[in-house]
Amino acid sequence: MLFKKKNKKEDSQEKKELEQGYWPYVRRQFKKNKRALFSLYFVIFLAFIAVFADFIANDKPFMCQYKGSFYFPIFKEYAVAAGVSNWQEDFRNVNWYDLKYDMSIWPPIPYKNTTMDQDNAPFVAPFAKQKIKSNRWRHWFGTNKLGNDVFACMIHGTRIAFLVGIVSMGIALIIGLFFGSISGFFGDDRLQLSRGKVIMNILFFPLALFYFSRFFSISFFLAILVAIVVMVIGNLIAKLLDYVPYLKDKISVPVDIIVTRFIEIVVSVPVLILVLSVVAVFPPSIFLVMGVIGAVRWTGIARFIRAELLRVRSLEYIEAAQVLGYPKWYILFKHALPNALAPVFIAVAFGIAAAILIESFLSFLGFGIPIELNTWGQLLTQSRQAPDAWWLAIFPGLAIFVTVTLFNLIGEGLTDAIDPRLKQ
Amino acid sequence: MFRYILKRILIFIPTLFIISFVIFMLGVYAPGDPVANMISSPGEESATDRMAGEKEYIKKWKELNMDLPVFYFTISSLADCDTLHKIYRKAHRETLSALTSEHGNWNQISNYYEELKKYEKKVLAFEADSASLKSWGRLRDYAANLYLKSKPKDVDNNIKRLEKYTDKINDSLNILTTSLAQLKASYDGVVSQSTSWKNYVPAINWYGLKNRYHIWITRFLQFDFGISYQDKMPIALKIKDNIFWTMLISIISIILTYIFAIPLGVFSAVKKGTVADNVTTTILFMLYSLPSFWIATLFLIFLCNPEYIQLFPTNGVGSEAIERATELHGPSFFRDLGIRIHHLILPLICWTYGSLAFLSRQMRGGMLGVLKQDYIRTARAKGLPENKVIWKHGFRNSLLPIITLFANIFPLMISGSVVIEVIFSIPGMGRMLVEGMTSQDFPVIFTIVMMVAILTMIGYLIADILYAFVDPRITYTNKK
Repeated sequence: MLFKKKNKKEDSQEKKELEQGYWPYVRRQFKKNKRALFSLYFVIFLAFIAVFADFIANDKPFMCQYKGSFYFPIFKEYAVAAGVSNWQEDFRNVNWYDLKYDMSIWPPIPYKNTTMDQDNAPFVAPFAKQKIKSNRWRHWFGTNKLGNDVFACMIHGTRIAFLVGIVSMGIALIIGLFFGSISGFFGDDRLQLSRGKVIMNILFFPLALFYFSRFFSISFFLAILVAIVVMVIGNLIAKLLDYVPYLKDKISVPVDIIVTRFIEIVVSVPVLILVLSVVAVFPPSIFLVMGVIGAVRWTGIARFIRAELLRVRSLEYIEAAQVLGYPKWYILFKHALPNALAPVFIAVAFGIAAAILIESFLSFLGFGIPIELNTWGQLLTQSRQAPDAWWLAIFPGLAIFVTVTLFNLIGEGLTDAIDPRLKQ
Repeated sequence: MFRYILKRILIFIPTLFIISFVIFMLGVYAPGDPVANMISSPGEESATDRMAGEKEYIKKWKELNMDLPVFYFTISSLADCDTLHKIYRKAHRETLSALTSEHGNWNQISNYYEELKKYEKKVLAFEADSASLKSWGRLRDYAANLYLKSKPKDVDNNIKRLEKYTDKINDSLNILTTSLAQLKASYDGVVSQSTSWKNYVPAINWYGLKNRYHIWITRFLQFDFGISYQDKMPIALKIKDNIFWTMLISIISIILTYIFAIPLGVFSAVKKGTVADNVTTTILFMLYSLPSFWIATLFLIFLCNPEYIQLFPTNGVGSEAIERATELHGPSFFRDLGIRIHHLILPLICWTYGSLAFLSRQMRGGMLGVLKQDYIRTARAKGLPENKVIWKHGFRNSLLPIITLFANIFPLMISGSVVIEVIFSIPGMGRMLVEGMTSQDFPVIFTIVMMVAILTMIGYLIADILYAFVDPRITYTNKK
């Protein structure tokens, strides 16, 4: 038994030494950078807080015994939100603090970001005398004007910040990967299409947009489906046109020039001002904020991918795949793209930091994020109305600063690990 | 070189077009009605007040060119009406286009709309006796409500209600009953002759140059920025008042940034690995991630607050303080300068430190790259003094990326100015923009965004030209 175990250990050690691939190398390099590694762990911790915010700060108990039976109100809330369950009569529109429990277990912070504690409003300092039953109910980070617990707002603000950072960068990633990969992989000469196909695509693209806008009011997914169907029909017609002599001639599409020009245009847009104006004139919506940030911040990703693919595409194994006769798109997604992805992580890490900063900037100015959410930026801006409420200035600002710094540090670590040449 | 600049300027055109298009469409499709915001709200009670309000509304609406099409063309469907923009009520337009996408027969729909207008006029003109006054009031409300309904079920319900209240009214001449019957018949026509398939056939409507976008952009290019919705002042005048402080602080800030960032970057690159370098790098990194609005808030709370420390005045640029001092003691240049500096020092710090950190980090990186080069080793081997090696051989070659960063810093400063101007209440462009946004003052928003975009692009252009001057190797002509 013992012998076998030792053997296994040796085996795994050998494996470790054999792991000479690109990703294991990057991982090892990244782990050498202690600051970046620590930041990564800290970000994972913050992500944990963001995901379980409802269990850390909530105005309902975890578990309670009420009139003899046990309930799990927080879980129940999720079930109700998902539409699979309903609240019992006793708990409908009830103030959970007033109920008489036989026994109850509350979350670490027994307040939500929307809970208004009228007894401790406005602006009660963390260590001032608070009207509370015991220290269990103390507002450790104080309260704001309406009596919202600042600590609870910070916990739930983590969720908003991470949501905005990750979703907006997800959107940017999709757009950036698409443009970066077609321009880098095909360049100006490798995308050869028949004239018919080019013409049909140019004609059918506005048509697809038209039908997209028509069906958009019904359902987003239906609209996308219809647009795809229209494009497929266009390409099928193009297949038929291939029998016409002039239209079947292949021409090369200068994808790279088109995409690079487009990137140049987007880059010279003053991002912050544009995001601000778009978000300011429409009613507050977190999805609008995420969408707009994603729509203007993809150029970095596209540039990284393009540069990397320009290098990768002339490597021997890509040529081998071409000789073997694989379709272009298959080679791009299966062989080229996975080996060009590394630098994108750098852009994404810095991008999340920037997105979180933009979100708090917008909240601070009072645009974009619904006001009742009490995000970090909104808490910070409340401190301007009450210059004596130092806790409203220190804690949320610190949260923004720390989160942004962590993502920047991860970005730096990734830069060092993936491509030291990129670091200027 | 000349050809390159020309090429860059050619790229400006699509960029400017896209930005202006986006920002203009934003104003068109934003919720809210700018005309209604501009005129005083019409009296609700008397009919004459309403008519007068309506007239004023139409006048203002025409003044703002709102009766023209939005763009050169529209891509719409066969069902859509190409002169919908001529209807002046925004809510009516929305209802009509919803009706079109429901039924797809514009002729019948416009007929129905005309009937509805006639009907409403009749209802308003109807002189109800005291017994049926209440019902008449309901009738009026439901008739007005019908303008907002587009779903068949809602319209039917509404018409049924109208019938119900018409029955209750003492209508001896049958005026209301007949016109309601006409209205109903016209709506039945809309429903029965529905051609909703037309919604799925695309059509292009060409409007020519007489459209709102064209008029706005040509006026903008002739420096006619229009009038602010908010205070009815010409925007050019408002900008003239506001641009001074933004520009002044930005320029001082850029100068300070370069003065401090370059030696700092060179210093930490030369001393690489030492404690001094580690400390500077860490501090710079932290400064780089510090949100300027946080620092500004902290300054305001801890340094301008009688509760803690009051070192600096809370807001403004000190114009009032100067006036007061002049009244008391007469004019004095140095005292005024002192007051200005006292007011501007905190905003200036917040304005500068971010780009300072950014630039120093770039300078350090560039210098590190250069110091590794062979010619630096050669210079040292020749026995040149270290100072000369660093400044003459190293520094000059690492200056290159720093110059291009000018283009990045410039827009950064202008957008950064927004929040700092708001916090310190400096009467500048950023604060003007935010005020314009909160009151949906679109001419102000358009103008400032466009100006920032143009300045940004000029920044990029200047950076490119400087780049070529500093480095003769860069020609731009055979650049691929």
